[in-house]
Amino acid sequence: MTEKQTINQKIKSLDEKTSWFYSDDFSLDESAKKYKEAIDLAKEIRTDLEGLKNEVEILSEDFTK
Amino acid sequence: MLPVGSKLPLSETPIPGEAPTFRPSELIAVVNQTLEYAFESVLLVGEVASFKTNQGKWVFFDLKDEESSVPCFMSVYQLKVPLEDGMKIVVRGVPKITKWGKFSFTVQTVQPVGEGSIKKAFELLKRKLADEGLFDESRKRKIPEELDHIGVISSTKAAGYADFIKILNARWGGIKIDVAHTQVQGIDAPEQIIRAIKYFNEHSNVQAIVIVRGGGSADDLACFNDEGLVRAIAASKIPIVTGIGHEVDCSLADLAADLRASTPSNAAELISKDKASYDFYVRNQIDTLERIIDNRADAEIRRIAEQMLQAHKYLKQRIEYIYGTLSQRMKILEAINPEKILSQGYAILSGKISPGSLIEITTKDKIINAEIKEVYDRKANHQSKD
Repeated sequence: MTEKQTINQKIKSLDEKTSWFYSDDFSLDESAKKYKEAIDLAKEIRTDLEGLKNEVEILSEDFTK
Repeated sequence: MLPVGSKLPLSETPIPGEAPTFRPSELIAVVNQTLEYAFESVLLVGEVASFKTNQGKWVFFDLKDEESSVPCFMSVYQLKVPLEDGMKIVVRGVPKITKWGKFSFTVQTVQPVGEGSIKKAFELLKRKLADEGLFDESRKRKIPEELDHIGVISSTKAAGYADFIKILNARWGGIKIDVAHTQVQGIDAPEQIIRAIKYFNEHSNVQAIVIVRGGGSADDLACFNDEGLVRAIAASKIPIVTGIGHEVDCSLADLAADLRASTPSNAAELISKDKASYDFYVRNQIDTLERIIDNRADAEIRRIAEQMLQAHKYLKQRIEYIYGTLSQRMKILEAINPEKILSQGYAILSGKISPGSLIEITTKDKIINAEIKEVYDRKANHQSKD
């Protein structure tokens, strides 16, 4: 089972995918496949961002005494 | 506790009469108990006079107004604010009668009030703590970039707290926020905030502590210049961020903190990443990829078009060359065309060139059969004629 990646790890992964497009390995034939991978990852990141919620807990400890 | 006027057992002969009878120590005890019952804790506001310390342990001063003066007493340890005669302060404490029968006010906490006194106390304490190095940049720790658990010290009813949470929720998520509810103004606030700092240091694993409090008057924010609080902030093992008041407000707590934000909202901004900027970054990356693909595709199309153009140009040149060569040859052929020569008046003779021979003469329009009468050299003929 693969461990769930954090948003930052996914961003890093997106950066890596993007860097291929700047590299000498780039080819138009492969670019469509690579572009789809990047788009899917971008959608995943945006979904993750939308789902982020903070959890606020008021401590029961009484600091007035 | 003894009620006022109750009779105490006396070891010696009582004085006759209806009124309660006490010995001095008993009377003082009763009065003190009565005072304690009536004034468990009193806030006293006044101007400091006759300030002095004794043996480096005890502090004595009078707190006075236009009409009266109350002698105050406290330990040096409890004095967290530098005092000077003339400063206006509020003290919390209990009134007492000493065993010598003198009235005294035992002070527990002190806070300056009024802009002048606050400023004076601020400057005095700032100098003292700065000399100790509490505000040195070298002491300040970096706030972790990836925060997923923080402690917040504030009043949950304060507007500053609401601003902080609102901005934090809008910017980022996935953070566990433990909130220690304390007072954030008034004479009791410093102790409560100190307790909260200790709590986080001893009983939690938060990565940073954020102290927030919205704007207010100098009096409202004076608690953040408390020496004990400033020392607790400096001593905290966990990095501390302050977001107190407005941009123009700078407390000693701010100076001791690892990171000072100008407001509670700014504190939320400084400790959190921004969803919107991440979203923008991701969109930008995808846009960039699209541009790269478009550019590369355009470049490829241009390259192929250029190749086709070059091929066309080459073919055209070849055709032109061949056409030129052909034309030239056609001109040559045209030039040596016998019909053309005949049309210029020349004739073609066919047959043996010797006297008596029959020959065929071809002109432009006719073919003539003739007999040769005589043959001689053109030069000889010319010479003979000459």
